[in-house]
Amino acid sequence: MSTAMVTRFLSKVWECPYIGRTPNNSILRPYSHTRVLSRTFDIASEPIGILHDWFTSEIPKQTRVVICGGGVVGCSVAYHLAVHHNWKDVVLLEQGRLGGGTTWHGAGLLGQIKPTTIETKMCQYSIGLYKDLENRGLSTGWKGCGSLLLARTKDRMISFKRLAASAEAMNIECELLTPQGAAKISPIISTEDLEGGLWIPGDGVGDPYKCCLTLATEAKNLGVKVIEGCSVQRVLTDDHHQLKGVETNLGVISCDYFVNSGGWWARHIGRLSQPKVKVPLYPCEHHFLHTLPVKDIDPQMPVIRDYDGHFYIRENQGRYLAGGFEPISKPLDLKELPGSFKPLPEDWDQFYVLLEQMLFRIPSLAEVEVDRLCNGPESFTPDCKWIMGEAPEVKNYFVASGMKSIGIEAAGGIGKLTSDWIVSGEPATDIWDLDIRRFIGLHNNLMFLKARMREVPGMHYRLKYPFTEFETGRCLRMSPIYPRLKIAGAFFSQNMGYEKPAYFDPDTGASADTLECDRIAHTHTFHKPPWFNNVWSEYMACRERVGLLDYSSFTKLELWSPGCEVVNLLQYLCSNDVDIPIGCITHTGMQNKWGGYENDCSLVRLGENFYMLIGPTDQQMRCQTWIKRHLPMDSPVVVADVTSMYTAICVMGPRARDLMTELTDSSMTSRDFPFFTCKIMDIGLASGIKVMNLTHTGELGWVLYIPNEYALHVYDLLVDVGAKYEIKHVGYYAMRTLRIEKFYAFWGKDMDTTTTPLECGRGFRVKFDKGDFIGKDALLKQKKDGVKRRYIQLVLEDHDLHNDVWPWGGEPIYLGNKCIGLTTTTGYGFTMGKQVCLGFIQNLDSSGNPQIVTNDYILKNTFHIVIGGKFFPAKANIHSPTLSFIEYGYDSAYMATR
Amino acid sequence: MKTAMSSIYFLNKKFIHYLNSKYFHVGNVLQQQARLANSYGAPKLSPQEVTMSLSANEGVVNKSSGSVRGFDYNQLPSNNPIEDRLAVGHCQLTTGMLFGIFDGHGGNECANLISHRLLDYVALSILPENLLKEYLDYLHSGIEPVLVEKINDPVDLTDFQRQLHRESLRNYALQLVQRGRRTPEYFMDQALTQAFTQLDEDMSQEIQQQVNNKNFDLLPLAVTGSCACLAHIDGTHIHIASSGDCKAVLGMLSDDKKWSFKALSKEHNADNVDELRRIIDEHPKPESNFVIKNERLLGQLAPLRAFGDYSYKWKASLLKQLLVPQFGPAVIPPNYYSPPYLTARPEVIHHRLTPRDKFLVIASDGLWEQLMPHKVVKFVGQHMSGRQTLDVLRLPRRNMKLKEIDSILHQRKEGLAKKPVDANAATHLIRIALGRTEYGVEHSKLASMLSLPDELVRTFRDDITIIVIYFDSDFLRHSPAD
Repeated sequence: MSTAMVTRFLSKVWECPYIGRTPNNSILRPYSHTRVLSRTFDIASEPIGILHDWFTSEIPKQTRVVICGGGVVGCSVAYHLAVHHNWKDVVLLEQGRLGGGTTWHGAGLLGQIKPTTIETKMCQYSIGLYKDLENRGLSTGWKGCGSLLLARTKDRMISFKRLAASAEAMNIECELLTPQGAAKISPIISTEDLEGGLWIPGDGVGDPYKCCLTLATEAKNLGVKVIEGCSVQRVLTDDHHQLKGVETNLGVISCDYFVNSGGWWARHIGRLSQPKVKVPLYPCEHHFLHTLPVKDIDPQMPVIRDYDGHFYIRENQGRYLAGGFEPISKPLDLKELPGSFKPLPEDWDQFYVLLEQMLFRIPSLAEVEVDRLCNGPESFTPDCKWIMGEAPEVKNYFVASGMKSIGIEAAGGIGKLTSDWIVSGEPATDIWDLDIRRFIGLHNNLMFLKARMREVPGMHYRLKYPFTEFETGRCLRMSPIYPRLKIAGAFFSQNMGYEKPAYFDPDTGASADTLECDRIAHTHTFHKPPWFNNVWSEYMACRERVGLLDYSSFTKLELWSPGCEVVNLLQYLCSNDVDIPIGCITHTGMQNKWGGYENDCSLVRLGENFYMLIGPTDQQMRCQTWIKRHLPMDSPVVVADVTSMYTAICVMGPRARDLMTELTDSSMTSRDFPFFTCKIMDIGLASGIKVMNLTHTGELGWVLYIPNEYALHVYDLLVDVGAKYEIKHVGYYAMRTLRIEKFYAFWGKDMDTTTTPLECGRGFRVKFDKGDFIGKDALLKQKKDGVKRRYIQLVLEDHDLHNDVWPWGGEPIYLGNKCIGLTTTTGYGFTMGKQVCLGFIQNLDSSGNPQIVTNDYILKNTFHIVIGGKFFPAKANIHSPTLSFIEYGYDSAYMATR
Repeated sequence: MKTAMSSIYFLNKKFIHYLNSKYFHVGNVLQQQARLANSYGAPKLSPQEVTMSLSANEGVVNKSSGSVRGFDYNQLPSNNPIEDRLAVGHCQLTTGMLFGIFDGHGGNECANLISHRLLDYVALSILPENLLKEYLDYLHSGIEPVLVEKINDPVDLTDFQRQLHRESLRNYALQLVQRGRRTPEYFMDQALTQAFTQLDEDMSQEIQQQVNNKNFDLLPLAVTGSCACLAHIDGTHIHIASSGDCKAVLGMLSDDKKWSFKALSKEHNADNVDELRRIIDEHPKPESNFVIKNERLLGQLAPLRAFGDYSYKWKASLLKQLLVPQFGPAVIPPNYYSPPYLTARPEVIHHRLTPRDKFLVIASDGLWEQLMPHKVVKFVGQHMSGRQTLDVLRLPRRNMKLKEIDSILHQRKEGLAKKPVDANAATHLIRIALGRTEYGVEHSKLASMLSLPDELVRTFRDDITIIVIYFDSDFLRHSPAD
């Protein structure tokens, strides 16, 4: 064979990246021909090869950052540290070969429109990065072929309209299509049973393996050391749970930062440190179908995603490459973790669900010959979102894993954000949806993960109705009154594993002795929800009589110290003044250095140096971590998580006071028991119950923090005595409506780490004169410069409750033809009789730069909200509206923003 | 005289058939025919007919006794008449149950006889000394106590054979008493071994006596043989004595609901290295090249232990004297220098049942050559839970079109949705063993497997006999683990 022939043959081999490809890329590395030839023949489907000896194999004794895992994500972190931050003292460790894990077999789809804003932004960034690299002559496999999303149902089309509206708001070009329009873009599809489509021309495909090597090479050229065949055996920490170094099979490296980008080994790597880091992810089988070359295949064929058929398909080197997310997936049987990546045996029966749909949608596939079905493990997380951020257990330990089979989409963005975070100490943008602190211990339970995984991969393409609930891993955390609530007809929603009643349907009977989770609150519509009437009657009970709610899931911490250290600590962490009289409650934010909300909580001063903190359910891990990270070394302050010790019952409504008075000998009048105070009281025969005069909704009422063993006693008493006041069980949906109507923001729903108190009308809770606190400078500056983004309440005009699509959050807000913001939470205001949306708006000048948002701007303009493709005019409020309420002759109502 | 003549004639014909099937490799013609039959063609039987012929010999016994909850059994003949036997019985003087599978070869005479007799021999062997004496006292006083109540007894013995059996058994009982106490530790092990060897020896003696008395009725026994696998189950103790290539496999369900198996017997065939070593060691060195040839004993017999087959046991002079006149010189195997080459001595395995042990499958090699033990356990386990599953699909050939794969998968899915057709686990196993394709169990394959012409059938499948014994998990859970 002449050299020219060999080269031609080789180039052919290289061009078929999925078949018989070795990780030895010819572009990167000159090879002797014979060697390559011998490689190409012994390949079945496994990434084989010798280590890339062009990378170093000697490990340094010391470095700044160690990245564990040389997949596309790890390489991207290394790239961004080196390129964007000039951090070159970085070591990338890979136990096998670069890109030899799940990166190697990825399908390489690059889409931009994702369910959450942060994911969308990251994917956009990733695409930009790969395009840029490609333009510089570096290989990423980028091909801008666009993607075509297909809908088979009317509801799916509504979701497309919602996606399109928010995409437009983020300047992503997209177009809604009729079935015929879709067939025009991709003539191979059948329009049978098709409702429509969404065309995103800016999407494309890439080659994860090429991206991975390119990023690694670029990083390496700047001085990053890449070491293959090196596995981490222990992650070393000091006494203060700060990262110290890693112990590998090649020796110890001391380092300041560690990044766990181990893909589906990440959970295992998490267990190699002391304390162990929880990385809740679990591998599932994921199949890729590779066909043989197809005649007349369009090389620019768009990626087709038939969501209701659960599959995607793309062109790949003259062949089809297809896969999907079957509704019931197949978690791996994890007895032991294999040392290196090995393809799994293919399971055609599992793939049949997808194949059937592919043949239905693309009839010409029937005649296409199959090359092989490749089965690789892909890791998924309990909520089907990526994991990133600094681990709560170990300082300077970062995680970037759980890429749920779309690592290439995530890699660019994850690499950027992780490197920014490492360098600046805090993330520059709100990544709460992906933050590792959204998980607690239960999420890392292997049995929980395995159970949950049956439905997680399918989430990818499942129609995302409002308030999505999981069916698996339920009935895990339950308050002691759960069985009683179930008998009362509760339908539950799960948050942090806690079952909270979403609404009650008293007509649904249930027996208490079954823990079967058959009462999951589903909302399978974008229109008026099926629980509308239930929530209405619950709402009315809270406004006219008295309602009983279960608040047990709220995060509860206790903080104390021998001296005044705890007061000083909290003064520094909180923007409000926490040096309040004993027995008082203050509502405060905990700001970050940009003035944004790390947490929004209520602090109860129970003693001179003793506080109880009540925070959102989601914050259980996060707020502890935030506080502990800011504890001075050797601080005597104790932070204890008491979430599971108390059952919290809220009684809410105008008759709440009458009810409470009957149950205790303490005076409940507003003079003796004013708003925002707490008393430790006897209720019924029980004692030691912390009763707080607040409801988190703006209604009159009390929350009772009851030691768990008294919970049933107190509950039964409340229901018994409350019967005379027609007490009603009330769920979380009604509470949500109450607080939205009262214009009451919730952390994690409305506010995030980029929201400042000044932007959401809570400047009155920031005490600039109390001394230093985190974020003070930023807030002072914002106060001086003026606020360029404001949180407002929008009341929809002309919305037909019964026939129009409802707002569910995330809808774009328009002024004229300019999108100036998005809604956050929404609900139907029963007293106003209108749809109410909360959200943030900006004041954009003609060149798109944000200007100060004045009251006039808000009040004098008419805004429009786009819901399901339709524009609805809306009237804006900056204060809580005054709602008529039934008075029983005592006090005036508390106003959240006054 | 006429009957004697015809029986010899019959025997000769049979012996030739035996030689065909056992001794000679199947010729090219047969193989070609086999290939034709393999492309199933139009089914010759309807699904109902298939089910009828599969379940013709099936039986279910739901009789709870100690750890045994009940059992399913079935037989599918390949030889005509079938050469397998099965026998189940309750020991009457002790508390155990006996399950035996007998895989005859060369004819059914030997299997037929031992399936009836072996259970009595075992029941007698395991009697404690006091009961043994009591038993003999009864015999002396003219009463013959029943040793084993046979739950299924298809055995058809002549009065003469029954009489011989009674006499031999009585002598055996006397011998046992004379031999005196046996060590308790190896009691079961020894008792089972002894029952096997004694019966084989008694039969040998009976044949010799009768031939010497010019009665040739028993002669077929000398040239037929039978493997035997016998389980004795008493509470949580299970002993399996096996001689030959039948097999017993235990199905276990782990805490994470996975089925696994444990073999409770060893096959005595050329796959068993220990067994090969044993045989070679038992004969003079120069013979080691001939003792096992073509994976067969003396190049002829596939199982390496068996009842009967005295042409591999008796001295050459005895063969010449008793068998050559009837069967011709070919009856003496080649290289026949140091008999015996064959023994009926079993290997005995003891197992202590735990609540995880759900069932025991004992079957003749006709099943095991079609299905691996782990598959058998999986299929029975899933049959227990009322589901039907398939093997993992491997594409039958390369470069298949997607529509072809789609239609395979479609058929598999249809199959999966169905409940098992057979209520009987043994029948279920036979159906899978014969009808398994990548599409699941396929009717046309089953139909053609069941309607093979007599001269062909033996090349595709052997007689299949299966007993599936279910254990009572509650009983096992509450049994003390002493």
